Amino acid sequence: MVANTKEVIEEDICVSRSSADEKREWSYKDELCVGCGICADICPVDAIELEPIGGIVRTGAKKSKISIDENKCVLCGMCSVGCPADALDLKIDNKSIKEMDSYPKLIKSAEIDDETCVFCKACETACPREAITIARSLPERSKLVTGEIEIDKETCIDCGICEEMCPADAITLSHQIPTSADPSVSSDIVVDKDKCVYCLICKKSCPVDAIKAACRTCSYGEYDLNPEDAEIEGSSFIDDDLCINCGWCQEICPVDAATVKKAFKGELNIDQDKCTTCGACVDICPCDVLSFPKPADSGQIVDKVFKDEKYCIYCGACGKVCPVEAIDVKRTDVDYTPTKSNSWKNKMESLKS
Amino acid sequence: MELKVNQDNCLGCGVCVVACPVNVSISPEVAGGHGSKTEETIMMVENGVIKLFSEDKCTKCGTCQVFCPVDAIWLE
Repeated sequence: MVANTKEVIEEDICVSRSSADEKREWSYKDELCVGCGICADICPVDAIELEPIGGIVRTGAKKSKISIDENKCVLCGMCSVGCPADALDLKIDNKSIKEMDSYPKLIKSAEIDDETCVFCKACETACPREAITIARSLPERSKLVTGEIEIDKETCIDCGICEEMCPADAITLSHQIPTSADPSVSSDIVVDKDKCVYCLICKKSCPVDAIKAACRTCSYGEYDLNPEDAEIEGSSFIDDDLCINCGWCQEICPVDAATVKKAFKGELNIDQDKCTTCGACVDICPCDVLSFPKPADSGQIVDKVFKDEKYCIYCGACGKVCPVEAIDVKRTDVDYTPTKSNSWKNKMESLKS
Repeated sequence: MELKVNQDNCLGCGVCVVACPVNVSISPEVAGGHGSKTEETIMMVENGVIKLFSEDKCTKCGTCQVFCPVDAIWLE
């Protein structure tokens, strides 16, 4: 039999087997691993073990969250199919089994509809995995407000009050030390009309009334504005490797542009009496589901750990890390694409508890 | 990963003893800072320094290391 070879690069692991017929390559990316241990549970030959994830994640130890015995591994790829974080992959002749119809895969997705998206970046901020990037181009400020501004340099005393008051940093004075040839403290005063918003603060604050300014938008209102000039353009990007389909983007989006489909349904139960508030679950949860609640009033007694289950993907990492077995994660439904193999079906069904 | 202590660094403050979630479930009085009445707990302060007793019970959650102010207890 052809032996498997294992390669470890920092915390990432690669196991491969090459025969005359095919090349199989199993890979593990530690950066993406959430420490749920589904791979260890689903492995038909018990080749994978979950390492002490609490200690590794909380102390920043340079150590892989899982370990694999390459002599036990049969390179079937079941672990990669069960992995909710896409940290594992099996490639057969350089093609991932996730791209092959004969293998099942978890049905999960996250999408942002750019037609509906207003590019507010709320999802980018909320995403616990920093998987979302919103690129946007803003309209030119000078097109959204127009007007006239003129500084009478004969009257101007170069005091610089307008420069200091201008909220848009549109006025610049070139300060200089006065000489007998040029007994003034400024050589020039310039208004940048691309920056000016015609708020008239300079005009109102000028001690010698050297500034004449008028805002056209104030006089003509919306009629002065071309709606096309105010359009915000952009595009969204979700890094599918980093995304774990937690649903934060969908919940936070003000215009319902984000849609998330989760692979697992279930229940997350916390035994508040058993909990000792060590915080391991809060630190390990990849979806920011768990937190320590703050009482609204002094003396008010709140739960030890708060859960916001709408963001839970039921990966079970919190249950695995809890040192006192206070957390129970039940999976009631696993959504996967069909497969003909009964062994695969049984293993996928075994993820339900 | 293994639980390690360095008695030379230890302040004897006992914060690891009360923070450890396993200790609390074995001997609830440690959470109140009264000191364990049993050697069944993972660690205890003895003669002013930390000492490991039942380290095999450690689940390696890292809580003791997070709380220790002086790097006297850690996972390695």
